[in-house]
Amino acid sequence: MSLVSQLMATTSTSGLDAKRRFSLGGVAIWVVLALLIIAPVMSFLILAVSPHVFQQGSQWFTLSFVSQAFRGYTGRGIVDSLWVSTLVSVLAVGLATTLAWLIHRTNVLGRRVWSMAMWILLIMPSWMMTLGWTDLLQPFGAAHALGINTRWIYGEFFGPFGIIIVLTTVALPFAYFIVSAGLQGLGPEYEDAARIHGASRARMLRTVLPIIAPALLSAIAISFAETMSDFGVAFTLGYHSHFPLATYTLFSAISTYPANFSVAAVIAVVLILSTIPPIALQSKVMRSRSYAVLSGRTGSVRRREFRRGPRVAATLGVSLFFFIALGVPILGALVGSFVENLGIYSAKGVHFTLTYYQQVLSPSISGKSLGAPLLESNQLGLVVASCTGVLAVVLARRLVASSGGWSQRVTDVFLLGSIAVPGVVLGVGYIFFYNLSFITHNVINIYKTLPLLMLALVASSLPGQTRFMAGPVGQIQPSLNEAARVHGAGRLRAWQTTNLPLMSRILLWGWLLTFTKTISELAIAQILYPPSQEPASVTIQAYLANLQPGTGTAMTVLTLLEMLGVIVIAMFLYRLLTPRGWRRVGWSGVQS
Amino acid sequence: MNFSTQTKGALRSRITAVTLVITVASLSLLNVTAGAAANPGFVLYSAQGYDKASVTAFNATHPGFTVTLNDNSTGPLLQQIQAEGNNPKWGALWVDGATAFAELDLKGMLVKNSVPKVSFNTLGKANIPADGSFTPTGLTVTGALCYDSSQISASQLPNTWEQLAEPQYQGLGMNDPSQSGPTFPLIAGVMDYLGKFKSGSPAKAVAVGKSYFTSLYQNGLTVNATNGPTIGAMEGQQIKMAIIQSSACYAAEINGSFPSMRVKYLNSSIALPGVIGIDAKQPAIVRADAQKFVDWLMTPKGQRAMQTGDPTGDSLYWPVLNGITPANKVIPALSTTHAVTIDPYVWGPLETSINSWFDANIANG
Amino acid sequence: MSLKARERAVGVSLHHLHKDFADKVALEDVNLEIEPGTFLVLLGPSGSGKTTLLRCLAGIERPTSGEITIGGTVVASARAFVPPERRGLAMVFQDYALWPHLNVRKNVAYPLATSSRAKPQRDERVDDLLERVGIAHLAERFPNQLSGGEQQRVALARALAADAGLILFDEPLSNLDADRRDQLRVEIATLTRATGATVVYITHDQSEAFALADRVGVLNQGRLVQIDTPEAIYRSPANAFVARFTGVAGEFPVTVVNERGPVHYEVALPFAPDERIEALALERFEPGDSMCLFVRAAGVSLEVTGSAKGIHGTILDVAFTSRGYEHVVSVGEGATLSKIFAPTRFDRGSRVKVCFDASSCFVMDPTKGK
Repeated sequence: MSLVSQLMATTSTSGLDAKRRFSLGGVAIWVVLALLIIAPVMSFLILAVSPHVFQQGSQWFTLSFVSQAFRGYTGRGIVDSLWVSTLVSVLAVGLATTLAWLIHRTNVLGRRVWSMAMWILLIMPSWMMTLGWTDLLQPFGAAHALGINTRWIYGEFFGPFGIIIVLTTVALPFAYFIVSAGLQGLGPEYEDAARIHGASRARMLRTVLPIIAPALLSAIAISFAETMSDFGVAFTLGYHSHFPLATYTLFSAISTYPANFSVAAVIAVVLILSTIPPIALQSKVMRSRSYAVLSGRTGSVRRREFRRGPRVAATLGVSLFFFIALGVPILGALVGSFVENLGIYSAKGVHFTLTYYQQVLSPSISGKSLGAPLLESNQLGLVVASCTGVLAVVLARRLVASSGGWSQRVTDVFLLGSIAVPGVVLGVGYIFFYNLSFITHNVINIYKTLPLLMLALVASSLPGQTRFMAGPVGQIQPSLNEAARVHGAGRLRAWQTTNLPLMSRILLWGWLLTFTKTISELAIAQILYPPSQEPASVTIQAYLANLQPGTGTAMTVLTLLEMLGVIVIAMFLYRLLTPRGWRRVGWSGVQS
Repeated sequence: MNFSTQTKGALRSRITAVTLVITVASLSLLNVTAGAAANPGFVLYSAQGYDKASVTAFNATHPGFTVTLNDNSTGPLLQQIQAEGNNPKWGALWVDGATAFAELDLKGMLVKNSVPKVSFNTLGKANIPADGSFTPTGLTVTGALCYDSSQISASQLPNTWEQLAEPQYQGLGMNDPSQSGPTFPLIAGVMDYLGKFKSGSPAKAVAVGKSYFTSLYQNGLTVNATNGPTIGAMEGQQIKMAIIQSSACYAAEINGSFPSMRVKYLNSSIALPGVIGIDAKQPAIVRADAQKFVDWLMTPKGQRAMQTGDPTGDSLYWPVLNGITPANKVIPALSTTHAVTIDPYVWGPLETSINSWFDANIANG
Repeated sequence: MSLKARERAVGVSLHHLHKDFADKVALEDVNLEIEPGTFLVLLGPSGSGKTTLLRCLAGIERPTSGEITIGGTVVASARAFVPPERRGLAMVFQDYALWPHLNVRKNVAYPLATSSRAKPQRDERVDDLLERVGIAHLAERFPNQLSGGEQQRVALARALAADAGLILFDEPLSNLDADRRDQLRVEIATLTRATGATVVYITHDQSEAFALADRVGVLNQGRLVQIDTPEAIYRSPANAFVARFTGVAGEFPVTVVNERGPVHYEVALPFAPDERIEALALERFEPGDSMCLFVRAAGVSLEVTGSAKGIHGTILDVAFTSRGYEHVVSVGEGATLSKIFAPTRFDRGSRVKVCFDASSCFVMDPTKGK
């Protein structure tokens, strides 16, 4: 516990404490980050210009792969990804802000339901979403089984239009939670002040917007990075629509034998560097603005009371959004799992069946069962989510240390850049680094073991979860902790009694997010899983990619249900084990 | 906000140091357990559907060492091997298609003369390289023309590759070579056949092949990722026929998901061997273990394990040994497939460039 | 003050206290001795270092150099540093710092968690405090259900619960509205004195400081400029800054005319060169020196225009207070005196005679103390 508690202390970067800037806690953090993220990723990226380092070519230095990556198919992929990600992040944040305002600041109906739905949208992996959409819309798909003709939309959907829509729904939840946290700090006095001074609705919005600007920019930055690195949509929709995205071309480059890791490394570098403009923009606007607005003084927010008509309209609007974003793909996958030979024209008409579920629950000899892989995935999820949770808290505190300065910027850039690293790059990088003779003989030999997979999964989730928590963690008024210290609480007790309760909800949801993300994560799992210990995502993918999409879909539905079950249990335990006061405070989790 | 103290700072450093030491020490414990046995066995990197059954059967009858199975798709396996570089962890590789093995052999990564001394049939012999660095364990055929008999009848199908490019044969599909392992051999085989390649530089054959596929593309060729989506497209009536791997067609026909699926062979098709090779960089004892496994695979017991391990999938192969019959009645005689072998040492090195060209111009053009 | 209370009170010493931040010096060579049981108010504008000093006392900030002793124990020095939780303090914050997830009762009970009392006694003490501070009826509420004044009361009760020998106040009234402010100020004054604890209280409000303090320390740009009783500071400000900050009705540039006594000088106003005003001084001046005259409001009285004494002035503004009237008077170009009390009303625009009491006027070098 003591290591944890001292890691939790924010190192001051003020003035003459410069000599303490390089405190042991700070060094330990960067050592951990180096082993988790920096070393493996750099091992991959260095191949962009120096393939000989890991025996991937003869040259110690060359720029030929750089020029190769920017030409032709891969070049198109880069350009496509850049403009799609920009468009998607703006759309996602705009939509997220509207939804956040409607759900938190107005009297729209069903607020608790929408908050919960947004969480589900957050944890659903993008490949599940596209699976659902595809199952639904394909000829003789689930929509057809329900009697709806979708031929007219199929062509539109499998193109940039559909890609942008699905990517927006994938990025939106991240943006939503960040903006919601920002909105919470916006007391009604700002709106009032603007209104009283005669501002029109639009002008008031313009006045209020800069106050939540930090949250908006943070949301845009994260949405951009997440979209650039998304693999699920690129791999399915992107591929089918002949609209290459950078992550797909990256994957393509390493899918032949011999793989072209160098070109892939160049693409990866582009993905990472592309996150710098959003951060620069965010830095420029935020300057030294402090996140800190959450304290005992933050009263309940005032809601805008719509009259009946607008209220119904607003509720319908929100419902429509969730139906399209969440309901449609879930419906597609659910129905698809019950339709016999989904996508096949049959003279007998549509036939619903339980056979795929039967195949999952009692597989044939050569078939793989879901039980053991799912159990393993859950175990992985448990360990990875817990480790990531602890590390994320430590890092988040560092990130929001209000003294600004270069170390905060560096951490910020590092985290966002890491979000942009596609899973497959991290996975292969882990092989490069942890299979080095030097490492296996002198430091640690965990290549091809479960611990290595765990480390890689932690590395994959840590940046996102840290940034996710940075807002709420930063919103805690420092004087709350100071008051505890002054009134007799040691560092640990002060943290436990002041910070922890305020963070409890975000800790819970951060944990659940990483838990579900770990279960559904595919790229890293596929390349690093140890022999005979195949996780569920790999099993499902094998079925989906081969000749048994029905069984694969059934497995997907069951896995999704299992993840939701874990969430329900976790929330129940939270309710059971936490004091009532803890649930009064906190973020826009399920409480709105 | 700074709470550290002089004395507390010193304490903090000591605690951190101790904890780091303990953590590192305990992590390295994970290393200790491996390699303690006298004979560590070897790790088999395999993408074959019957690998689990084969390995289980082998381990049951061969105490003394264990074969550890690293089952995965071909792509990730090859990525792992390539990324492991000079510090390989694989003892043997077992996948469909010889081109990867040719590459490995050219880099000196395979044990030579590892082919068991058994009675191979003609096509089996044709797939054994001169230096004996890899062994064919079974054969499927790619370039089979699978078609949906409910959409198109056998009489409406072409008989030759040349005919296939004619405008009246619409609704053709195939797989993407960058995603589907058996597809590059198909493309190479078509180029080989159309260019009448015998020896020397394949450049002319490549050019002929490229213009052929371009004309297919202009005739409406649809490219999907792998067998699964391609057959799915046929089931969804987006395409009528497809040139894919034979075992996929038979599987669809057998498991009842696509009862109207039929297979026709054009005047030529490409033999796609399932191949196993041994890592030359492993210690002698590991190589010896791997050799025992390879030898066992080419015995009737080994072949039975393969043929029963994935009865609706990979087990539907043609044996390369004399005296072994195919696992399922639905598989016709090998001669009816007009299967020929392409030289992986010639076509293997061209895989990257041809796949890139295909991706840019045919699959995504 | 009870015997127990007298025992509880601790003395505080600051020796050569320095605190630097990256961009500025917050405290420069501050030396201070606080007797046990004293109510010390640190007064200064924002940026003067008073908050930093308080935080150093609390242990939330670590001084760059110097020594802090509380109750005879060295809590901060080059060699040692005692963390806040072991200093035996209590503190009331400007933003109340109430924990939002705990109700009022639990907030107040927090400091008692580490005490040796048994639970029933702890509960009893909490009830007693809630009663004393007048918030017993709010015990089960949560902070976000309380008004600002109520929240600060809870913070006060919490600070008192700790039974600390030293209580720190960080501008506790600045976020409250005026009527609440007076009320709470009185409660702070009485309740803390009843405990007998030493109090260090910081504020930028001069009247608040003078109302509360046994001793006032004036801080300017990190330096402790003057520390004395409120009366002494009011009557003998150490320099122009202190004078200005502790309440002047007006200040004008003047010329020293002649010396009238050991500390008395006669000065002439530029806009009324024939008039003479007598004022106190802390240093020697020469006739002809250009200095500044600082006038306390209490030293100015108004006479009807026909009166013989005083200089001419014009009423700019008048405000009714419960005891009389406060006027703003102009005595010359750009020279105004504000908060001038008179029992009767002089209307806006009327001419008056303005009389100065020498003991409330100070002639000083305006550049000193900047």
